[in-house]
Amino acid sequence: MGKKLEYLITFLVILSLNFGLPRMMPGDPFLYISGDDNDIPVEYSREQIEYYREYYGMDQPIYKQYGGYISDLARGDLGFSYTHREKVSRLIINRLPWTFLLVASSMLLSLFLGIGLGTYSAWKRNQWKDSLLYSLIMILSEIPAFLIGLALLVIFAAGLDWFPLSGAKTHFAVYASNWQHGMDIAKHAVLPVITLTIARTGGIYLMVRNSLATVLTKDFMRTARAKGLKEHRIRYVHALRNALLPLITRIAMQLGGLVGGAVLVENVFSYPGLGTLMTTAVAYRDYPLLQGIFLAIGTTVVLANLCADMLYQKADPRIGQGVQRK
Amino acid sequence: MDRTIKASCLKVQYQTGNYAVEAVRGASFTLREGKSLGIVGESGSGKTSLALALMGLIDKPHNSSGELMLFGESYLGLSEVKQKHHRWSTIAMMFQNSMEVLNPVMTIGDQLTEKLKERKTISSGQAGREAERLLQLTGLEGWEAKAFPHQLSGGMRQRVLLAMAIAPKPRFLILDEPTSSLDGLAKQDMIRTILSLQKKMDFAMLVISHDVKLIGGLTQEVMVMYGGHIIEKGFTDAVMEKPMHPYTRGLFNASVELSPHKDLWGIPGEYNGNEVHKGCAFYNRCSQRISLCCEQTPELKSVSIEREIACHQKGLINVLRGEAITKHYQIGNRSIPALRKACMNLRHGETIAMVGPSGSGKSTFAKILAGFIQPDEGQVLFNEKKNDLQQLACCEGGVQLVLQDPFSALSHRMTVEEVISEPLKLNGIGNELSRCKRVKETLKALQLDDCEAFLKRYTSSLSGGQRQRVAIARALVMNPKVLIADEITSMLDVSTQANVLRLLKGLQNKNGFALLFITHDLNLARKVADQLLILDRGSVAEEGSAGRILQNSDESQCADMLKAGLADG
Repeated sequence: MGKKLEYLITFLVILSLNFGLPRMMPGDPFLYISGDDNDIPVEYSREQIEYYREYYGMDQPIYKQYGGYISDLARGDLGFSYTHREKVSRLIINRLPWTFLLVASSMLLSLFLGIGLGTYSAWKRNQWKDSLLYSLIMILSEIPAFLIGLALLVIFAAGLDWFPLSGAKTHFAVYASNWQHGMDIAKHAVLPVITLTIARTGGIYLMVRNSLATVLTKDFMRTARAKGLKEHRIRYVHALRNALLPLITRIAMQLGGLVGGAVLVENVFSYPGLGTLMTTAVAYRDYPLLQGIFLAIGTTVVLANLCADMLYQKADPRIGQGVQRK
Repeated sequence: MDRTIKASCLKVQYQTGNYAVEAVRGASFTLREGKSLGIVGESGSGKTSLALALMGLIDKPHNSSGELMLFGESYLGLSEVKQKHHRWSTIAMMFQNSMEVLNPVMTIGDQLTEKLKERKTISSGQAGREAERLLQLTGLEGWEAKAFPHQLSGGMRQRVLLAMAIAPKPRFLILDEPTSSLDGLAKQDMIRTILSLQKKMDFAMLVISHDVKLIGGLTQEVMVMYGGHIIEKGFTDAVMEKPMHPYTRGLFNASVELSPHKDLWGIPGEYNGNEVHKGCAFYNRCSQRISLCCEQTPELKSVSIEREIACHQKGLINVLRGEAITKHYQIGNRSIPALRKACMNLRHGETIAMVGPSGSGKSTFAKILAGFIQPDEGQVLFNEKKNDLQQLACCEGGVQLVLQDPFSALSHRMTVEEVISEPLKLNGIGNELSRCKRVKETLKALQLDDCEAFLKRYTSSLSGGQRQRVAIARALVMNPKVLIADEITSMLDVSTQANVLRLLKGLQNKNGFALLFITHDLNLARKVADQLLILDRGSVAEEGSAGRILQNSDESQCADMLKAGLADG
């Protein structure tokens, strides 16, 4: 019950921030309403601005706008984009799968790498192999993601021409089969996914390495070794399972950051996800679109936290009720 | 087939930063199948390290060396992989209970049977039933198999640990503090469970504990560990009855389980593990040390049948020994026997309470031991030598006597300073200045005022308690090895008696003199004495560990007397 209330309050705060934040930005949506990136912005006359403000309900007092926003939301209406002249929900639904593709694959990859390398490092702790791996990963994860993206772009796309420069698939391509279609998408996704993976692996690696190092000193590890169990059982059943508990919460908390990173990386690779959509929305102060995107991101993060909470209860019997006595 | 377990020269060294700490410095023992051996010692003495070394669980960067022969086969010489084969099959260990000794995210049942499943001794289908069976063997109900460790109480966890240890039917079982989190009743129950399991499964057992009573209940033989050394080894009953190493005696004196009625006295000082020393580990806390003890580590040597001790002095020294002492008093033409072949042996730092009804010969015995009267037959030895006992009262490090009545023992015409410095002065020890210093120190030790005003007071102006303390001060100023206290508290009120006794015991604990405490008050004897000597009509009716005799007063030859004398008898 308490948990549910907590999530409800979190959600309300997110909604209010969604509404408030874009309006706190300097500037006005109707200063530049038309034009592509390179166009000379057309300035509106005073009457036109007044007209549009009234048309979009911006002349009303802020609390009325807020009320309207909430009631529209309740009906599932995310509003209408000023710049794209399209429903926000449709825009987001079109772009969301691409971002999801990047985030999910880089999340899986970095988990796989982080846990693997972290375990390896913890087992070789205080040996040169651990020190080398540690320094390497620390250096890599300190470089901002967009810089790595740029470097990859310059080397592997522009230089070696192994991967396409931009986009999520080849424009106007006609595919002979689904397989070809899939390969084209994968090829476009490789560089952005690698970029995001590099940026995320460090944190997971560090967490696993340190958490395992703590677990290894626990009494039950000695018990396991005294029992003469097989090495893989000691490592993966007794040690890793305990070490991964903090990782569950960590991943959920990182998800927000991961989406943030995706926004930057998408812009580097001109990838048609939520990130690029957000850039234009910010540039033109497209309030409804910004609100929609924020809402989408915020909801995912809250959902991820909810999942983590439930997963943690399953993974750690000390939380929640556990086993009932017969 | 070899049916013994032999450990030889086990050493453990912990590497911390740049220097190494030696936790176990050469331990060896032999244990026969089905028998049990105990290891006692205070925390930090290396007991658990020894157990871990036996299992081969000391990890890099720490070192361990030595050999363990399991029934004729080398174990510690094997590679890690081959050791694993023996672990939890031939050799198993019941770990010390702690919150995290079991994996928090696995059920008890899984942890009990995972090794059996890995070995394919049982199938996954049988695991549940096997876990339940094991739990029931150790006195649990069986549902615990489905629980997680945090859902069990400390006592239940302890039983789970035992169940886990016996699951593979080991031939050698190490138990580390098997009852540390149990209450008295559960402890008794646990001891019974362990013994019955041993009978059923016939495993050899190594029990590690600081609980002396537990070791007494579980083992036939015992080793005492201090600072990584084995310092005493022998049959458990014999060691508990008469510890021979100064440390063992100190440890038993500090153990409430052994003598629940006695005042507890810890060993002064602390083990200094960081100090690099080549001498005896107990050197800095030992009150009978000699210069050799600082230079050379004593080896474990046999001093009597089935008793080994690591001490340059061969254990506690016999400071005062009366051998077959007989004494008759002539009254008219009748010869009244006062003592008949009475024997007594007082060891360094020990307290013997000599008790007995009035007329049993206590005071005569005391006077003979102090050298005031000569025995008809028999002899008194001081430090195992036949000395002129008169002379011993006159020199430092000898025998001193304190009497019952402080009013007649101190001359009322002398000041406090004169009384206390008199023995020094008469025997020409030190000069005026050093004597005055020693008087003041002794007064302070007895919690008396050491200011000039007090020194100049006449003893007639002192209270009974003060006088008795001054009398004790007069004896202690000579730094005696033996103090004979003849009913010293019988004329004091209870509060003063308590103060004087605690002071005296405290000084004994610190300085290590032996105390022959003569009293007719059994309750008092129970409070202060290590050993008890009961005189009855001139002969020794019973002697031995005070704790044992007084706790089992029904079995004593003097049961009636003890029953009448003890407050709760």
